[in-house]
Amino acid sequence: MEDLKKFRELFLSFQIDAVGPEVKACLDRGTAPKAFLACCQECMEEVGGKFDTGEYYLPELVVAGEMFKDVSERIKPLLKTGDSTSTGTLVLGTPQGDIHHLGKDIFKVLAEASGFTVHDLGVDVPAASFVDKVEATGATILGMSALITAAFEPMGEVLRLLDEKGLRQMVRVIIGGGVTTREMADRIGADAQTRDAYEGLKIVRTFTGTGE
Amino acid sequence: MIGQPGKKIYPKDTMTAEERLEAVVRLEQPDRVPLSMMLYYYNPFHTEHSMSEYMSKPEVYRQVSRKVYEDLGPWDMYYNINPISRLLYSYAMMMRYLYPGIELPDNVMAQVDEIEYMKPEDYDAILEQGTTFNDLRFRMRMLPRFCKDAEGVHPARLWPTLARDFIRQKRFWKNDMNWCREKGLVMQIGMQAEMPFDLFSMARTIVPFSLDLFQRPDKIRRAALRLAPSFAEFMIWVARLMGTPRVQCYCHRTSNSFISPRQFEELVFPSLEEIVCRIIDAGMTPILHCDGDWLKNFKVLRRLPAKKIILQLDGLTDIYKAKEAIGDHMCLFGDVSAEKLALGSPDEVDETCHRLIEEVGKGGGFILAGGCEIPYNAKPENLKAMTKSVYKHGYYTEQQAVQVQVPLPKAT
Repeated sequence: MEDLKKFRELFLSFQIDAVGPEVKACLDRGTAPKAFLACCQECMEEVGGKFDTGEYYLPELVVAGEMFKDVSERIKPLLKTGDSTSTGTLVLGTPQGDIHHLGKDIFKVLAEASGFTVHDLGVDVPAASFVDKVEATGATILGMSALITAAFEPMGEVLRLLDEKGLRQMVRVIIGGGVTTREMADRIGADAQTRDAYEGLKIVRTFTGTGE
Repeated sequence: MIGQPGKKIYPKDTMTAEERLEAVVRLEQPDRVPLSMMLYYYNPFHTEHSMSEYMSKPEVYRQVSRKVYEDLGPWDMYYNINPISRLLYSYAMMMRYLYPGIELPDNVMAQVDEIEYMKPEDYDAILEQGTTFNDLRFRMRMLPRFCKDAEGVHPARLWPTLARDFIRQKRFWKNDMNWCREKGLVMQIGMQAEMPFDLFSMARTIVPFSLDLFQRPDKIRRAALRLAPSFAEFMIWVARLMGTPRVQCYCHRTSNSFISPRQFEELVFPSLEEIVCRIIDAGMTPILHCDGDWLKNFKVLRRLPAKKIILQLDGLTDIYKAKEAIGDHMCLFGDVSAEKLALGSPDEVDETCHRLIEEVGKGGGFILAGGCEIPYNAKPENLKAMTKSVYKHGYYTEQQAVQVQVPLPKAT
């Protein structure tokens, strides 16, 4: 990891423009692509930890996620089979009636950086599409994000459809977004609720046994 | 003072709504807690009108909102949106709105489609342009980039349409104001707009703006500060013209749910202070619409003039903690949650309102309201419970306290 010391420093001091050239320099020096993934994930953990304690805020989390994405794209073609493993599979989207995507997108970046395979259905997603995707991918986690109360009913509808199709026992459901509450999650029968993308990540990691 | 409704809302009241509002802004104890219902998208569902008709025909909007007041009122403050033109509304809010009946199905709420319409070089353009009307010029330059009704139109050609819509808007608000006077209500808004920092955040969108915060923080600060004087002066001018001495300043992206207290202090506060102080100096009340969690910003916010500002919270700031942290400095406005109004029961709503009135309303300086706008799917019986709560629990003195069994007077 000595090779990656400078990369790590640049990443953790958010020197966005310097990270890409350093990746190239490290690869030219022969650093294994797999080592980048491990280093990036460690950096994300550190940023996430500081976000958790209130030292960092959303921009740090978003910028770290963007740097992670950038590094991943650079090294993806160089990875060998078996270099990366999925932590879990999740289906994500904003339910019908709501087109907000901000929180969902931040959560997606964090989940991918944490090793999850994410199937993002986008916004204004009909209830049946969530359920079909869960069925088709065998995802064990379903995340729905909303910023307006118009999404309450469609979220409930997704839970009802999962029940109807006999899938409810196989998938953990988390709802997120500024308008959601724990009480609301209980009302519709979701397993968890959050208003914070990083907390959401910690919750889904507990679902897969990869978190605290 | 602009506008002086003289009618009392309840027979028990000893103050008019305007006097009550002025008292709570000064953090004095009025006769009872005032109530604001920020009703917009809820209204057409209540009266079973289509959302598209409600949003495109000001006469329908007027008819619908008055019917809702008759059914669910009375309250003290009238939330006067009535956006007669999408162009004008986009100018104020600087967001791309998709409208029911146009881009969206007929009966859904309008939605904000966040697109990146501002580029990093636009900060430079702001800093390079002169100071006269620069907020106005900046907004006009941006409008064709995001507003559906301005796409492809040269900014210079937008002026006549905007001016025409502005005159129409004034006419409708004037009519609303006359109605408010008859009922004894006060108009909530003389003018409303997205604050410069928040505008940049929306216009750049979350990821590019987060990168900007690291790559060009000083440009953000200076550009916001450069726009601040003309932003404030235009807001004041419109509010004067509309005859309502309150300016609603939207701070959608300034909370600690997004940026750090340090970023708030260094990048946001200078322009926010400039704007707020100019509004106050003009004899008006700034209403800071503070979405997200603001608790850690309150220490800096206390540098603003005391007893002059209304602070609207949206459920993400703990209003009880806000009372402790800044309740002796600013009037608090909120904060019955959307979730409670949409899914709770009237008893739950009453309980929430009662606690807010007792704890946040203690000693004055409080306006009972929803957290942000009332949700479109609020239950009418919950809104009625909210209305009744200020009558049941909101009077400050024993003599004025009203027994629960006393029937509530009709709104009309």
